[in-house]
Amino acid sequence: MTHALMKTRILGMGNTILTDDGVGIYVVREVAAKLAEIGRTDIDVAEAEMAGFALLELLSGWDRVIIVDAVQFSELQPGEIVSIETADLHTSLRLRSIHEMDLPTAMALGIELGYPMPREVTIFGIQAEDMHTLGERLMPSVAAAVPQMVEQILSII
Amino acid sequence: MRKISIDPITRLEGHGKIEIFLDDKGGVANCYFQVPELRGFEKFVEGMPVEEVPRVVTRICGVCPAAHHLAAGKAVDAVYKVDPPPTAKKLRELFYAAHFLHSHIAHFYALAAADFVLGPDSDPAKRNILGVVQKVGRQTGVEVIKHRAIAQEVQRIVSGRSTHPVWTLPGGVSKGITEAERADIVEKAKSSVEFAKFSLKLFDDVVLKNKAYLDLILSDTYELNTYHIGTVDERNRVNFYHGDHRVVDPAGKEVFRYKDHEYLNHITERVEKYSYLKFPYLKDIGWKGFVDGPESGVYQASPLSRLNAAEGMATPLAQAAYEQFYSTLGGKPVKKLLATHWARLVELLYAAERLLELAQDPEIASPNFRTLPTATPEEGVGIVEAPRGILTHHFRTDANGLVTMANLIVGTTNNHAPISMAIKRAAQKVIQPGKEVGQGLLNMVEMAFRLFDPCFSCATHSLPGRMPLVVEIKDPEGTVVHREVQ
Repeated sequence: MTHALMKTRILGMGNTILTDDGVGIYVVREVAAKLAEIGRTDIDVAEAEMAGFALLELLSGWDRVIIVDAVQFSELQPGEIVSIETADLHTSLRLRSIHEMDLPTAMALGIELGYPMPREVTIFGIQAEDMHTLGERLMPSVAAAVPQMVEQILSII
Repeated sequence: MRKISIDPITRLEGHGKIEIFLDDKGGVANCYFQVPELRGFEKFVEGMPVEEVPRVVTRICGVCPAAHHLAAGKAVDAVYKVDPPPTAKKLRELFYAAHFLHSHIAHFYALAAADFVLGPDSDPAKRNILGVVQKVGRQTGVEVIKHRAIAQEVQRIVSGRSTHPVWTLPGGVSKGITEAERADIVEKAKSSVEFAKFSLKLFDDVVLKNKAYLDLILSDTYELNTYHIGTVDERNRVNFYHGDHRVVDPAGKEVFRYKDHEYLNHITERVEKYSYLKFPYLKDIGWKGFVDGPESGVYQASPLSRLNAAEGMATPLAQAAYEQFYSTLGGKPVKKLLATHWARLVELLYAAERLLELAQDPEIASPNFRTLPTATPEEGVGIVEAPRGILTHHFRTDANGLVTMANLIVGTTNNHAPISMAIKRAAQKVIQPGKEVGQGLLNMVEMAFRLFDPCFSCATHSLPGRMPLVVEIKDPEGTVVHREVQ
C-alpha cells in the first residue's frame, strides 16, 4: 500500500515540564501548524505525555505511525537526530521497561490481542541535553534541531 | 541523518545504575544504586499561585499523576486553612481508588506477573505482559486492558480528564458527579471487584500453589527487617487518601504516628557522598547506615508496609484476603519482600471495594463539593499514599498565595535505602567467588528492585531513554568485569 492510501498518525511523545523531554511534543505541534498551512487534513497529529498501556490506544487503528521523542545516548550530541527501527528496540534491549511496557511490547501485545496495529512505525529520536530539570523551554542545542526534524517529517508523509 | 541501532552495551544516559563492588575473594563487598532525580522543582514553582501547583505536579509523573494532584491539593487546603466539605473528600477518595486500581493492575500484569507466571529463568523476550497473556490466555489479556481502561474512565468521569487531572481547588474540587454518572461508576466498580478477586485467585493458583515460587517468596534472598510506614484510618485500617501515618518497628509494634503537618518531626533525609540520591530515615531512631533491625532508622513505604503498619482492611473481601496473607506467611509483620506483590493485590481488591462503597454513598453526588477559603494563605503539608509509597507535598507561600518554598518526598524516595539493601542482598546470593555471572544476575537484581514498583524521575516517554537499568560488577580496583543492560 502506498503512503498516500495509508492512514497516518504523527505522534509526539514526552513531558513538557521536563525541559528537553518535551521536544517530541513541540515538534509535532509545529508539524500540525505546517500541515494546516498547506491544507493537509489527511494526517492526524497527536501528543502523548503518557506511555505504557496507553501506547495500545495511541497506536491501534493507524496504518502508519511516526513517533518523535527525546532520547539520551552517550555517543550523540544534544540536538542530533536519529531514526530508530522498532526491530532494533526489540532485539537489542530487553522488552521490559521499569514501569508498564515499552513500544515493542505494546506492538506485540496489541497484535496478540487482535488490535489493528500499524504496519509501519517510524521512530525519530532527538538527543536531549537535559531531561531532569523542571522547565518549560528547550535547551538552545535541542531547540535548534526542531526545524530540521519538522522538515524531515513533512518530507516523508 | 544517522541511523542508530541499540547495542546492548551502549552506555545510556539518564538510566538507573547499580554498581556492585567485589572483594578480593570475588564476593560482593558493596552495592551502590543511582538513578537520576528531578532537579529544580522548588525553583520551578516559586512565585506560582499555590492553587496552580496541583495542576502542574501531575505532569511530574506519567505514572501517578493522580497521587501528586491529591497530595498537592491537600497541601493547598492546608495552606489556606480550609476544610473541604465531606462530598469533596469522598469524591477525591473515590477518584483515588480508581487510580490505585489502574496503577496496581498495570504493575502486576505488566511487570510482576511475568516473574511468577513465566518464571524468573524464562526467556527475557517472553518475560513480560506478552508472555503472560500467551500463557494464561488472550481473554485474561483482554480483561486486563478492559479493567485498566475502566479505572481510567472512572477518573475521567469524576475529574474531567483521565490523565493529568485539573480538578482539586482550595477547599474542594471543581466538579462533582451526576446521579447517572454515579450509577455508571457503581457498575464499573462491581466489575472491578470481580477482576480483583480473579487476580488474587490467579496469584493463588499460579504462585502460591507452586512450591518453587512459594519457596522463593519465603527464602531469605529477598528479606529485610525494617520499620514500615503506612496511612491508616481511625480504626487503624489501610486508607490511601487520608489518616494518621503510622510507623511500626521490625517486630510490628507501633512506635509512633504523625499527622500530615508533623512529618518533619519524624522524617529526615541523608545524602551519601557517592550519590545525589536522598535517603530518608526515621529521625527518632537515627541513621546507622544501610542496615536493618530496630536500631536502624531505615524504613520501607510500600504496599507491604501499608499492610504491616495497619491492623486490617476497611472492606470485607480485602479483610479476608489480608487475613489469608498473614496466616500463609506466618503472621505480622511480613519481612519477605516478594510478598509485596501479593500485598499489592490485596490493595487492588480494597481499592475496588472502596470504589463501590463510595459510589454508593448517599453524599457522593451532592452539589456541595467546595468550601471557599477565607484565611490568609501561609504554609501547608499534604500527604497521601501513592501506589508505590507515602507521598508528601509541603508548600509555603506569601500572603498572596504565591509559592516561596516547596518540598516533595515522592513514594519511591522513601525506599531508596531499602532498595539498595535489597539489591545488595540479592547480589550477594547470586555472585559467589568462582561462579560465572550471567543473565540470571540481572534478573535476580531486577526482582529485588521491581517489587518496589519504583518510579524514578518519571520521564514519560517509552523509547530507550526511558530509564533502562545498567548493572556493573567491578573488581576491588574499580575495573568493570561484567556489565548487563536492561
